[in-house]
Amino acid sequence: MTDLMQYGPRLFEGAMLTIAVALLSLLLSLLLGLLTASAKMSRNRLIHGIATLYTTIIRGVPDLVMMFLLFFGAQIGLNMITDLLYELYGWDLYIEINSFVAGVVTIGLIFGAYMGETFRGAFLAVDRGQIEAGRAYGMNHGQVFRRIRFPQMMRHALPGLSNNWMVLLKTTALVSVIGLTDMVRVAEEASKQTDQPFLFLGIVALVYLAIASVSEWGFSRLQERYDTGFVGGED
Amino acid sequence: MADTPIPLEVRNIHKSFGDNHVLKGLSLEARKGDVITLIGSSGSGKSTFLRCMNLLEQPDSGDIIVHGEPITFKQTRHGYEPSDWKQVVRMRAKLSMVFQNFNLWSHMTLLENVIEAPIQVLGKPKAVAVQHAMELLDRVGLAERAHYYPAQMSGGQQQRGAIARALAMDPEVMLFDEPTSALDPELVGDVLKVMRDLAEEGRTMIVVTHEMAFAHDVSSQVIYLHQGEVEEAGPPDQVLGNPSSPRLKQFLAPNR
Repeated sequence: MTDLMQYGPRLFEGAMLTIAVALLSLLLSLLLGLLTASAKMSRNRLIHGIATLYTTIIRGVPDLVMMFLLFFGAQIGLNMITDLLYELYGWDLYIEINSFVAGVVTIGLIFGAYMGETFRGAFLAVDRGQIEAGRAYGMNHGQVFRRIRFPQMMRHALPGLSNNWMVLLKTTALVSVIGLTDMVRVAEEASKQTDQPFLFLGIVALVYLAIASVSEWGFSRLQERYDTGFVGGED
Repeated sequence: MADTPIPLEVRNIHKSFGDNHVLKGLSLEARKGDVITLIGSSGSGKSTFLRCMNLLEQPDSGDIIVHGEPITFKQTRHGYEPSDWKQVVRMRAKLSMVFQNFNLWSHMTLLENVIEAPIQVLGKPKAVAVQHAMELLDRVGLAERAHYYPAQMSGGQQQRGAIARALAMDPEVMLFDEPTSALDPELVGDVLKVMRDLAEEGRTMIVVTHEMAFAHDVSSQVIYLHQGEVEEAGPPDQVLGNPSSPRLKQFLAPNR
């Protein structure tokens, strides 16, 4: 019990970090996903090509490799640029890639690709007639998107988004490899120090499960909201 | 009447889908209070022609003049396109369309459907839009369904709701794309009755339909299309009562 008291605050901090990384990368991945989906539905070949390249690379490269590549690779690249600037102009710069930002960006990038596929399928599932009605009544592109396409698309997207979010949440455990002290990292340390791996890993599992359960509840509320009008019965 | 601009004029519309030349230079002029019905077998191009009028379908060439204002087109690498989409949006707000499959927005209640475009497109205050919408819903016999979702209504009710949505825009011209074709036979009458009332009060309407009795009773002009061309056109008594084209005679035969 004393072990738990001792590591409690750090575990809590780790859990907060996990949640922060998860939520921020979710936000980033949703934005990237919407952009990717629009790009893939665009009739501009270049934009379409860039989006396809992005999803192909992300889906073909393991998450862990991606994390290392982005963190170390980007640091090396940046160092080369700053070295060059020093040699050429005598500017003395050193930019260090923050591992929190790197973690969020990597996970956001990875899941942006998956979100993109989810959104694209969902947009295509919206009945064309619904969109035509908007256009026929003089709505511009933005209005059709905001008032018709988006709300109707969400109904189809939510099951996929919820699934992606659950996987994303668990993927945050990877950030420990680039030096972030998330809850898994704290538990690992605590297990080694105290020889009680099941206690700490069990707690970590429960926290993940709790976040997942709350999310599932939230997603089913959202689903209800976007299903309005589609299933029979009142509201 | 002297100088009021003509609500809708289309000239020499051509349209192809690939090698299929579906509209071969069609023209039409809808003056105020005209009810023009487009008839013809499926594949004659009547729906495509109607959809070209509000540019849901892009014609390959031709002129569209709404209330005296010609839509400007330009040639791009995607083909013949309007050069100013803002103008198209403005023009569409003057032409309300009623669709074969109703296309009421399924995530909105009937009332929300009717107030949507007046608020978003015409910028009406919500209270004004709601009041107008309730009057229109009352008129089509759906006041008590205002808070229902489309999925909770019959096809006939949905189509009458869609007509209320179209009326809410105070349109110059109403375009009807086979408004009764997706309805069960017993529901057709209610929708046609609403349309007859609209015709009587002097609404300018262009109607693609298979309802010959309706076309006969309310039209100021009937246009019979065959393979993208006007085969016969004129007042209903002449076109439907005494057709000269053998094709049209054959087309009308089952209705006699």
